[in-house]
Amino acid sequence: MHWIRVFAASTVNAAADFAATYTWRTWTFAWLSRIIAQVLFFTLIGTLLGSPDKQRFLLIGATVMAIVAEVLFTCASSTWERRAGTLPLLVASPGDLLAVFAGRSIQWVPSSVATSSVCLLVVGPFFGVHWTWGTALALVPVLVVTAVTTYCFALVAGAFVLNAMDIRNIVANVLGALMTAFCGAVVPVSYWPGWVGQVVTLLPTTHGLRAVRALADGGNPVGGCVAALLTGVLWLVVARLVLHRLAEHGRRDGTIEFGDS
Amino acid sequence: MRTVLTGCWYQLLVLRRSPADLMALFVAPVNTAVFLAIVRHADRPDLVGHAVLAPGLMALWAIALITCGELIDAERFGGTLEALVAVPARMLPLLTGRVVVVTTASLFAFAESWLVAVLFGLRVPIPHPAIFVISMLGTALAMACWAGVMASVFVLARSARIFQNALGFPFFVLGGVLVPVAMLPDWVRPLTNVVFLSWSSDLLRDALKTAPVQDFAGRLTALLGLAAVGAGLGAYLLSAVLKRVRSLGTLTYA
Repeated sequence: MHWIRVFAASTVNAAADFAATYTWRTWTFAWLSRIIAQVLFFTLIGTLLGSPDKQRFLLIGATVMAIVAEVLFTCASSTWERRAGTLPLLVASPGDLLAVFAGRSIQWVPSSVATSSVCLLVVGPFFGVHWTWGTALALVPVLVVTAVTTYCFALVAGAFVLNAMDIRNIVANVLGALMTAFCGAVVPVSYWPGWVGQVVTLLPTTHGLRAVRALADGGNPVGGCVAALLTGVLWLVVARLVLHRLAEHGRRDGTIEFGDS
Repeated sequence: MRTVLTGCWYQLLVLRRSPADLMALFVAPVNTAVFLAIVRHADRPDLVGHAVLAPGLMALWAIALITCGELIDAERFGGTLEALVAVPARMLPLLTGRVVVVTTASLFAFAESWLVAVLFGLRVPIPHPAIFVISMLGTALAMACWAGVMASVFVLARSARIFQNALGFPFFVLGGVLVPVAMLPDWVRPLTNVVFLSWSSDLLRDALKTAPVQDFAGRLTALLGLAAVGAGLGAYLLSAVLKRVRSLGTLTYA
């Protein structure tokens, strides 16, 4: 119960941050337009290749990777907390650090679900990705699962960059590009050597993407969603361990307040 | 000229301390792998040149947007803009020197992409080396000129980061960095014609093909013309922005 109260308080912080960053106009005309352009950029490669199948494959992959790109803003927003100088107070308080940081960047989840829903449901039909009422309704929870579980992974990245704030954007962007390459967004996972396939099995995004593709093909997304949820929980546990280690080390060597390195 | 060189030297010192300013150089090799994987999986070796050039052009644009876009605002945030405006040296040559260094550094992305192609076991010959080099220089010049525009405009924006995040992919599409603008709908063409990247990417791609490059002089003139427009607009905006923040008393944040 205590964990939920801390998490809820932190989400209020996240909502305030989001409202300070975007108005509905800038979100719609700047951010949503940018995501649509990103998805179109990859979809048009299918046009260049002269293959409607590839166009469809790339549109779905690019849309899920747009979720990844946005959710990885967690790297930046986690460091905003430290920049604000609240970390010593958070470490000193009895609240769980994971509850704080899990709430602190949650704004990227609903935003990414909204942008990806628009891309798949509105832009998708122009490029051969069609939905029935049933699959369209099922798509939103699948995207929620994908975004939430990817967020669990992003929390680990965010926890790591708390100790290396200068490279927060590098980490987020390189991770996003690597996941685009290897998680099955632009080419099937089987294109890469076998060990790459095994590594990306640990990432919730790979399974979320599989679920979205299954749904778009009229198949069953449940298997992909379950695998995404299981790996998501795994990353949440890792995030807790990394944050705990950050706090313990910081207490010991006095770097909690000034550890901008 | 001395002020330009001072700007160059200062920017070199800044870049040494802030690798994140060149973030796109970290992403470009992975993007190359992404694009090469797509064209190889589709068994389209004729598009390898597209896949290798695109990450370089994207990095050039992204670095200009993020790093050059913040040059003036970072001074303002750090409280040094007042001093820069007060000193006898003019701001424009100083900014030019800094933009030139950032733009030159971002050209490394093209070398990175080439190296990734080699790692993939691919060779990317340049049948028209002179045209390639001239087009690359023209592209860098145009980018530097438009980076000056961004640096001025972002001072006036309430949240420049929103625009920095938003202006990447729309321009990658309109600039045809991977998919030629000829494949876009006709109604988009008036827009693509005024985006210098569309001329750059077409010229650079044509320099990688064995066929003779059509109308090189005309296309290069268009690219340089857009660079000149960017330079003029950048100089005008810088002067207008400085005048505005002086008269409003907002040279520094309160």
